[in-house]
Amino acid sequence: MTGLFPGFLTLSAAMFSIGALGVMVRRNPIVVFMSIELMLNAGNLVLVTYARYTHTMAGQVFTLIVIAVAASEVVVGLALITGVYRSGRRLDLDDLSEMRE
Amino acid sequence: MNPTFTLVLCGVALGLPTAGFLINALSAGRLPHRVVTLLGPGVVLGAFAASVILLVELLTQPPSGRGITVILWHWLNLSVGPANGALGRAGFNANFSLRIDPLSILMMLVITGIGGLIHVYSVGYMAEDPSYNRFFAYMNLFITSMLVLVMSENLIFLIVGWSMVAFASYALIAFWYQRPAAVAAGRKAFITQVIGDVGLVLGAFLIFLNLRGSGGQLLRSVDLQTIFANVGPGPHFHNGLGPSGGGLVTAIGLLLFLGAAAKSAQWPLHTWLPDAMEGPTPVSALIHAATMVTAGVYLVARFHPIFQQAPVAAGVVAAVGIGTALMAAIIGCTQFDIKRVIAYSTMSQIGLMIFAVGAGAYAAGMFQFFTHACFKALLFLAAGNVIHALHDEQDIRSMGGLSTRMKLTFGAFLVGSLALAGIPLFAGWFSKEELLSSGLVLGPAVPWLWLLGVSVNVLTSFYIFRVVWAVFRGEPTSERAAGAHEAGPTMLAPVLVLAVLSAVVGFLNIDFFGFHPITLFSTFLDPVVGGSPAQSSPGIQAVALLAGTLLSLGGVALAWAVYGRRLVSAQLISRHLPWLYQLSLNGFYWDELYGTVLVRPTGAAAAMVRVVFEGELFESLVGGVRAGVRTLADDLRTMQTGYFRDYALLFFVCAVIGLVVLGLRLA
Repeated sequence: MTGLFPGFLTLSAAMFSIGALGVMVRRNPIVVFMSIELMLNAGNLVLVTYARYTHTMAGQVFTLIVIAVAASEVVVGLALITGVYRSGRRLDLDDLSEMRE
Repeated sequence: MNPTFTLVLCGVALGLPTAGFLINALSAGRLPHRVVTLLGPGVVLGAFAASVILLVELLTQPPSGRGITVILWHWLNLSVGPANGALGRAGFNANFSLRIDPLSILMMLVITGIGGLIHVYSVGYMAEDPSYNRFFAYMNLFITSMLVLVMSENLIFLIVGWSMVAFASYALIAFWYQRPAAVAAGRKAFITQVIGDVGLVLGAFLIFLNLRGSGGQLLRSVDLQTIFANVGPGPHFHNGLGPSGGGLVTAIGLLLFLGAAAKSAQWPLHTWLPDAMEGPTPVSALIHAATMVTAGVYLVARFHPIFQQAPVAAGVVAAVGIGTALMAAIIGCTQFDIKRVIAYSTMSQIGLMIFAVGAGAYAAGMFQFFTHACFKALLFLAAGNVIHALHDEQDIRSMGGLSTRMKLTFGAFLVGSLALAGIPLFAGWFSKEELLSSGLVLGPAVPWLWLLGVSVNVLTSFYIFRVVWAVFRGEPTSERAAGAHEAGPTMLAPVLVLAVLSAVVGFLNIDFFGFHPITLFSTFLDPVVGGSPAQSSPGIQAVALLAGTLLSLGGVALAWAVYGRRLVSAQLISRHLPWLYQLSLNGFYWDELYGTVLVRPTGAAAAMVRVVFEGELFESLVGGVRAGVRTLADDLRTMQTGYFRDYALLFFVCAVIGLVVLGLRLA
């Protein structure tokens, strides 16, 4: 089982990088959200991996909390996206930059 | 005396004007006119009723038992300190405690009695004023402050009342805040009061820090009875504030007198009083004749154990008093504003009271205070009737011939003038002659001061009868004077009551010639201020009395000759002694002197600070900071693109840098 740890960690790092790249380059907010979820789950994977490795429960519990927070974050985020869509605007993050000034 | 009953009465006397002030002030003009009319004078008359009951209760006691302290509430109680701490085992107590004794009850009766009459008068005088309720709020506040001042048994609350009085006076002088002159006068009065407050507070600090008990331990007490019991060579024979005539007790006496001089408009802090006549006339009657300006007399009488231990300070008090009396009387002879004449007359009469209490004739000084409160309030209110009838005309050159148009006011003013001038059988005669003759026997320098005092008599009767002839006799000199008519009942009734009082209160204390004296008044005050000072022989007293009375009558005759019959030209002095006339007309140039020495240099310094500091230094400093922040903000703002991915990129880059740094440190 020990031999698999580098694999899990590598997978997690890959997921995180893909997610980060997605957040930075994509312009569709829904895809950006999916990328964020990818990064969160990469973090979760690391947490459960190490929990397993150290035979403690803290990582498992923390992962549950992260999942709960991610779920609430999605609710808020999707509500915002729906609100923007209803106001008749294109769902393009580069267009939604009025808050700059 | 029943302490609970006394406590309740004190609470009523103090609480009613407070409640009147709060209701009038907090309702902010929403109360109907009629309610304010009932409330404003009503609370003061209620307090007067409580004071009368207290007086009756006091009179049922034997003279030695006439004095009670009641504690309204415990304010500071630090008596649980360590046994050997700085404050000792006794600790420090400061309660809101009130003293009811003959001196304070006399002050209370005058404040609420005369004050109540003036409140009733104000109902008529201020009826047309849009700020009717604000006026009564201030008036009630003034009564409250004054009562706190005279009833307090504690240095701290004495100072609180002292300063509240100054504020109430400021608010009332500057009552017509639309007039720049009134606002300036209010400010001047307040600033002068604060100079006096500094003296009083420093004196109180010196007492608190230095008072020692009979065992030599520091007492750290602010309780007046404790202080007085330990100051003089009392029953325990020790000098709690250093030896008699020592530097400490002299300094305390002089500092206390600085406070008294500011309140009582004595030289050199007298210049605010004539300007204070910018306030409404009832205010002049209440504050600048009957009550507030006599607070200084009360202070010296109340702290007489200290002044008795400090002969130098007491001598200064007497000399300043008689000097101010003479100076103000000279100024009063040439003023043209009817209220300013009466104001200078007040300053002069209070100078006599200050002289008396400085010379040790406390009962005589307080008797003069009592009669003066009656006849000076009367003069102000009668003058208020004239001013009201002439539509705010105050210049006596525009008056004349009013005796036929305002018969009752004329009669009242005449009674007040006779009392002020010290014409026999009117109130002022008894009090002033007693004051002067008791001053005659005290101390080596005092006979000379007495000579100055009786010369004040001539001037007093001269200037007040000059006003009587100019205002009431002769022919009207303006249309307003010709069209004047008598005041309404609310303004006339208090004037008539005061006229009766001014005629009769002198009989409370007939003390002349030594046989069958009816010294009700002095006997009443004896438990507080000690027995009457030694009297000189009846012969000397009779001569002094005769001389004083003749000089008073001479002043009236002089005024009659100059202004009534025109036997002597009124321009005699101004033609032959122009410098004296100018000196008097311009109030001895004190205002100009203070303006040149104090006000203008301060103003110039302020202007310089404004130009140099504010204009150059602060402007460049503040301007530089502002420009720097602006530039920095402009630079930083370019980072803010508004594109989400830029922020995310920045975030990741920073996170990576942070991780690398962390890794390097761990490695």
